[in-house]
Amino acid sequence: MSSDQNGFIKRSKKIDKDSIMRFVLMGIASVTVLIIIFIILFVFGNSIGAIKDIGIVEFLTGNTWKPSSDEYGALPLITGTVLVTAGAILFALPIGLASAIFISEVAPEKARNILKPISEVFAGIPSVVYGFFGLIVLVPFLRELFPDQLLYGSSWLAGSILLGIMALPTIISVSEDALRSVPSSFREASVAMGATNWETTRKIVVPAAISGISAAAILGVGRAIGETMAVMMVTGNSPLIPEPLWNIFDMVRTITATLALEIPEVVTGSTHYSALFLLALILMIMVLIINYFAKIIVKRTKRKFGESVSSSDSFISKHISTKRISSMERSAGLTLIFVLSMMIISLFTNLILSTVISVILIVFVLIINRLSKKIRSVDKQKIAHTTLFIVMTFVCVILFIIIGDIVIKGLPALSFDFITGYPSNEGRSGGIYPAIVGTVKLIIGTLIIALPLGITSGVYLSEYAGNTRLTKIIRSAIDTLNGTPSVVFGLFGMAALVIFLGLGHSLIAGCVTLAVMVLPVITRTTEEAISAVPKDLREASLAMGASKWETTTKIVIPAAFSGILTGIILSLGRAAGETAPIMFTATVVFQSSIPSSIFDPVMALPYHLYYLAAEVPGSTTNQYGTALVLLIIVLSMFMLASIIRYHSNKNIKW
Amino acid sequence: MKDNVIEINNLNLWYGEKQALTDVSFPIRKNKISALIGPSGCGKSTLLRSINRMNDLIAKCKIEGQIMYHEQNIYDPNVDVNSLRKKIGMIFQKPNPFPMSIRDNITYGPKIHGITDEKELEKIVERSLVQAALWDEVGDRLNQSALALSGGQQQRLCIARALSVSPEIILMDEPTSALDPLATSKIEDLACELEKEYTVVIVTHNMQQASRISDYTGFMYIGKMIEFGDTESIFNRPTENLTERYITGRFG
Repeated sequence: MSSDQNGFIKRSKKIDKDSIMRFVLMGIASVTVLIIIFIILFVFGNSIGAIKDIGIVEFLTGNTWKPSSDEYGALPLITGTVLVTAGAILFALPIGLASAIFISEVAPEKARNILKPISEVFAGIPSVVYGFFGLIVLVPFLRELFPDQLLYGSSWLAGSILLGIMALPTIISVSEDALRSVPSSFREASVAMGATNWETTRKIVVPAAISGISAAAILGVGRAIGETMAVMMVTGNSPLIPEPLWNIFDMVRTITATLALEIPEVVTGSTHYSALFLLALILMIMVLIINYFAKIIVKRTKRKFGESVSSSDSFISKHISTKRISSMERSAGLTLIFVLSMMIISLFTNLILSTVISVILIVFVLIINRLSKKIRSVDKQKIAHTTLFIVMTFVCVILFIIIGDIVIKGLPALSFDFITGYPSNEGRSGGIYPAIVGTVKLIIGTLIIALPLGITSGVYLSEYAGNTRLTKIIRSAIDTLNGTPSVVFGLFGMAALVIFLGLGHSLIAGCVTLAVMVLPVITRTTEEAISAVPKDLREASLAMGASKWETTTKIVIPAAFSGILTGIILSLGRAAGETAPIMFTATVVFQSSIPSSIFDPVMALPYHLYYLAAEVPGSTTNQYGTALVLLIIVLSMFMLASIIRYHSNKNIKW
Repeated sequence: MKDNVIEINNLNLWYGEKQALTDVSFPIRKNKISALIGPSGCGKSTLLRSINRMNDLIAKCKIEGQIMYHEQNIYDPNVDVNSLRKKIGMIFQKPNPFPMSIRDNITYGPKIHGITDEKELEKIVERSLVQAALWDEVGDRLNQSALALSGGQQQRLCIARALSVSPEIILMDEPTSALDPLATSKIEDLACELEKEYTVVIVTHNMQQASRISDYTGFMYIGKMIEFGDTESIFNRPTENLTERYITGRFG
């Protein structure tokens, strides 16, 4: 009794456990950090050889990429990447923005609840499925559309359209968020003065959201620039700068495609080997810069409409254009239309004729512009809303074509034998059983490795690490890896795991590569889900005498559970559909039995699909079957995640 | 009556299943200030927003009854809601200037309604700001951001913005609830000044404000117009028990 009275504020075992757990968490979190630092250093270190042998300037400005004769000029590859990405954004931004405006400003509530998830489905389709669709539908379609310009169909144009479609969900969802975050008081004030909804959208809402929209465009670029499989399958991969530079019908080769094509045949330690690492490094730096700009813009937008609009932040006013700027924009826009149309038309005909056509086009635009002032604003609204509706419909149609084509042509291939049989005749007939098993094994292995590391690191970062300079560095290291294109992980896995550690082409090497790829995603989503748990809950628990560890495990983690789970499922869904990281580390083309050891290679659905589509003519039925099975697996994981998110949003409100 | 600019007859309004206004009828007199008072949630803001059809923006909002404006029911399908709102402007609870310069805030409305002549726009800017008693304070910095103004100045800017399209009626929805006492009294003075040229309808939770500035007052309770009359008699000789209890501060 007396010991109770005197000892009640003495340290108990509980608190000791607290500090032990703290160290354990820190230890595991630092493993994550070490892995990340190791990858960055590994890529950097391996590219030094190329910098020495070739010289950075020669590498960046050289015009010929020909590893067989030791010529490493990366300019055509960098140009290819920039051109394909620019084309993709030129295609996707107007469409994406129009869809976002339609969803946010025009569509009734019910339609919005359907359209948002539809646009998110785009994001769930694996890259290799897009590539397959591009190769088998888009490329032949373009070849028929432009028979004189396109010899094969594979082209910059095809790559840009496909990448544009893939960037759409990013652009739509980020700009929709930006439009939604414009305070409704702006809309009310404008409408109360007799402005139509369209005038309000065009003159108030879009200008106010402009920085969020530019962030959407930049993030879309980031998404497109790192794509590997889809691009590789439709651009033709010729390492030459288009002739002329704006010839969208020419074949191009991107950095990512170069990595994917050349990693399998490179000699370890050679200049070629090092040059590929240097390419990967350049790619990482490009993505890093892009994401950095997006982050700054997003941050600024958040501050802008943070709490009070009436704060003395003079920053916003600059962003709603006054008349002077808009007339400048108009002439710049006209010049741009002129130059672009001249370039494009010159691809079909000679220069003089194309200039004439372009001038006529500009005059036409000016006349329309003049006439538009005479149209009543109510009719303008009708025209604008109809246009937006048509664009939105177009987006939905694209999605339905992609999914519909695969489902309709894939269903006949699906049968019991297809699911449970082994491939024969190079995959033209027989089943895909080993590929399904391989993919499932890869997912499970990835889960086993990445889950403990990722969750622990996330918990440590949000609950224990504080906000020191060190944690800031750790966070940005994680973010760097988060945006790194998946093919870079493939390169790392091949060099570090398969060759350096001697794991060989094996399940374990594939799992580790995929785990390293999803680790940053899991860490960050865990951290974010946990930070979203309100402080009150923690304080309520701590105020009752619970230790920090108890509070974390019994209150905070359960409260953040659905958020963490959603993040994990989404990242695994992504891992399941990835091709580039596993094609150099884990997969083989055919197996006639299921391997038993984790050191044996496996078959996997995405790689199988790529192989059939790219290398095995006459296997169309089985290609569609494989694509459908892969699509079902990946999309059902995405669906599961959104169901969990939906239910948790319904039950928990804070 | 001739000097009624608006007559509201048996107005009923539902948000989904919930009835927010029940059989509301009252007139709005030309070139007078009418105040709507009542406890929060009584429907006074809803009623105000019905007058220029701002409730149209809310989904699931259903309206029955009439609001007659120049012998025309504003809920008639032939009515152009944008022209209606040009004639019946609105000031909101919180100042909501656009994130633009002071000048652009005021030229926004006229430009929307088709005025492009720069000189005319300049005149409108000056006239609106003078009427809103803001010209002396901001006349020399029209290109500055509207968001750099103080809360009271922002609200007067919003009034100037509403005046820029030469409305006939100005609806004010608790225009001083986000302002300090000094800024509030400036807005009140302004409202009294505006009365000469415009008709003002003001919703307020502040009874002193209603008695200070309005000519007519309506007391609302749970979606019903309990009593409407000239301000003097509402505050001194209310006929309804409910009104008296509210005025003397016994509830709400």
